[in-house]
Amino acid sequence: MIEKSVQCPKCQTVLVCSGESGEVVKVKCSSCGMLGKVTFKTSIYPEEVAIEVSNLKKVYGDLVAVDSISFYVKKGEVFAFLGPNGAGKTTTVEMIESIRVPTAGLIKILGKDTKTSFNEVKEKIGILPQEFHSYERLTVRETLMYFSKLYEKRADIDQIIQMMDLSEHQKMLYRNLSGGLKQRVGVAISLVNDPEIVFLDEPTTGLDPKARREVWDVIAGLKKRGKTVFLTTHYMEEAEHLADHIAIIHKGKIIAEGSLEELVQKYGTGAVLHIKKCTNNDATEILKESGFLAISEGNGDISIKIDYKERVLEILAKLRHACIEYESIDIRRSNLEEVFLNLTGAKLSEETT
Amino acid sequence: MKPRIIITDFIASMKGWIRSRGTIFWSIVFPVMLILIFGAIFSGTDNPTYTIYVQDLDESSWSQNYVDTLKNISVLEVENIPKEINIIEYIKEKDLRGALLIPKGFGSKVEQSFYSPNITVNLSFYFDPSDQGSTAVVRSIIGSSLQESNLFLTGGRHVIGMDQVSTITSKFKYIDFFIPGMIGFTIMQLCIYGSIERNTKFRKDGILRKLQTTPITRTEWIFAKMLFMLFLSFFSTAIAVIVGILAWSVVININIWMIAIIIANSFLFSGLGMIIGRFVKEEETADTAAGAISFPMMFLAGTFFPLQQMPQFLQDFARILPLYYVNEGLRNSMINLDYGKATYFTSIVFVFACVFFIAGVLLTKWKED
Repeated sequence: MIEKSVQCPKCQTVLVCSGESGEVVKVKCSSCGMLGKVTFKTSIYPEEVAIEVSNLKKVYGDLVAVDSISFYVKKGEVFAFLGPNGAGKTTTVEMIESIRVPTAGLIKILGKDTKTSFNEVKEKIGILPQEFHSYERLTVRETLMYFSKLYEKRADIDQIIQMMDLSEHQKMLYRNLSGGLKQRVGVAISLVNDPEIVFLDEPTTGLDPKARREVWDVIAGLKKRGKTVFLTTHYMEEAEHLADHIAIIHKGKIIAEGSLEELVQKYGTGAVLHIKKCTNNDATEILKESGFLAISEGNGDISIKIDYKERVLEILAKLRHACIEYESIDIRRSNLEEVFLNLTGAKLSEETT
Repeated sequence: MKPRIIITDFIASMKGWIRSRGTIFWSIVFPVMLILIFGAIFSGTDNPTYTIYVQDLDESSWSQNYVDTLKNISVLEVENIPKEINIIEYIKEKDLRGALLIPKGFGSKVEQSFYSPNITVNLSFYFDPSDQGSTAVVRSIIGSSLQESNLFLTGGRHVIGMDQVSTITSKFKYIDFFIPGMIGFTIMQLCIYGSIERNTKFRKDGILRKLQTTPITRTEWIFAKMLFMLFLSFFSTAIAVIVGILAWSVVININIWMIAIIIANSFLFSGLGMIIGRFVKEEETADTAAGAISFPMMFLAGTFFPLQQMPQFLQDFARILPLYYVNEGLRNSMINLDYGKATYFTSIVFVFACVFFIAGVLLTKWKED
């Protein structure tokens, strides 16, 4: 149990509250009665932190592209920075990579302040910038050799080629590679110095599903090798498939953060049972009378929110008992799309297109 | 600066260059092509000949004497038009640019003029007004020959004459004038377009963003690229000189001024390319902007033709173009061997190079706003 003192933003009264690491506790001000939430951040040892971002802000004229965001990335995890286009993902990652200058805030990579020690940090990180295309007239091997020779610490190029499954293509000119292969080479380039942290900025944007899967396999492989991966993406499936920890950014602010399970549990609507083409028009009413949250979707389709899996059997038993037949059923879990919808009122996929 | 990093980038640039047909064309094929073409076009201009068609309707000893006089002029080749043919139709049929008609009675009128000084006789010169170049020359030659004949017939004498003295060593030809201009122009093209590629395409492709996150510094990168541009500049110069010597037997003097101008020229136009690349972000637009600057400069700075052939206002304008000083510096060091002037022009090119290159380096940013 952790104790924490907080100040009421309305009447400035200091309140003491307690909670577990990672818990969000509701509090009521003893003086003015204002309700609020206190988050007990997951405690973490500094040596476990790969990236720490505090109050990072970027302003372009009147536009606040990134609005005082804070988060940290643990070593060895795949951290997905998810958000629609224009949410501030790339601006954030490019400030972390020292490509852009922050308006305010602190960035630490492996404990070093990037403002003062980025040259030291460079040797320990590998970066694949957004929409990166390497030198067109160098072969895959020459490209990797070129970037490798820029570093003091170098990984074995043959090993990287093998790991990225580029052996067959190593003598091909970069310009002649397919989109998927180019992205694989991009990821390979980010590994030439055997980095501790790999930044991948939208590595699958513009790729076909097959090529996207190939890049996912590569990222999964990086995690297996103990690398910390900072992945920015606007594909929720990508974050769901790869990430240990997800931060959702919207209009420059982080609106939710946690593991997939945590986000779905906290902001999702749980699981929903879909029953297709019931033969009886009263099926929805019958289920409602039995206490189920059933909604008719027309054409005999019904969706029922279920809070635990045993409820599925109860619902099906109820239908059988009422002699109601149906064509098929399926259970859909809440996903990040739904989380985003619940948090912003908009669909992530729609905001992205 | 780490030599390992600079060498790595230099080697990568070399490989990219060798594999690029476009840059090979502009650095080797294009200058060679121009040297061969311009050399062939102007190879005869040092001893030009002009053809004049003559129809002698008089066929007297006087008219024959005059035709012989024309035949004795070394730059003229005289062709006869038969007497019975209509000269205008003949000119049209044969698409002739100039013809001279000696009228019937020419000889008798010349003889009469000895007794009656008021009697004159005119020859008719038919010409194509669209061919101003050779027509003017032929007309001037005929005019001179008539003046000589008049002097002879009237018993006049020469009081004032003219000695012709070439200001450059007599063995030099047009191609000797052309090659230094070609060298200056080729280096300008290579450096401007090379710089633009680095500053627009590399930026668009994310290469600059990527490099910024690696240990290579901006200074090391620019140094490596300049080293490569210098290599290209000297390489294309060597090609131009070798082709000039082999194909046209040009006489080139290689000296410290020539080397200094080539180095300064590379820095000057690389700097200009960096400036263009900074302000014009799109690669295609930047190429157009570079073309808009380099092509007029190529014609106005005396690359292909001496500046003296241009109107005065264009000559004045040329003096604000850096390529003019490059061309003049190269000609004075390689051809005229006027080292005083070569030093003067080299100094100006160095000042231009410092201004453009420093501005270019300061404007070349890796960090995004």
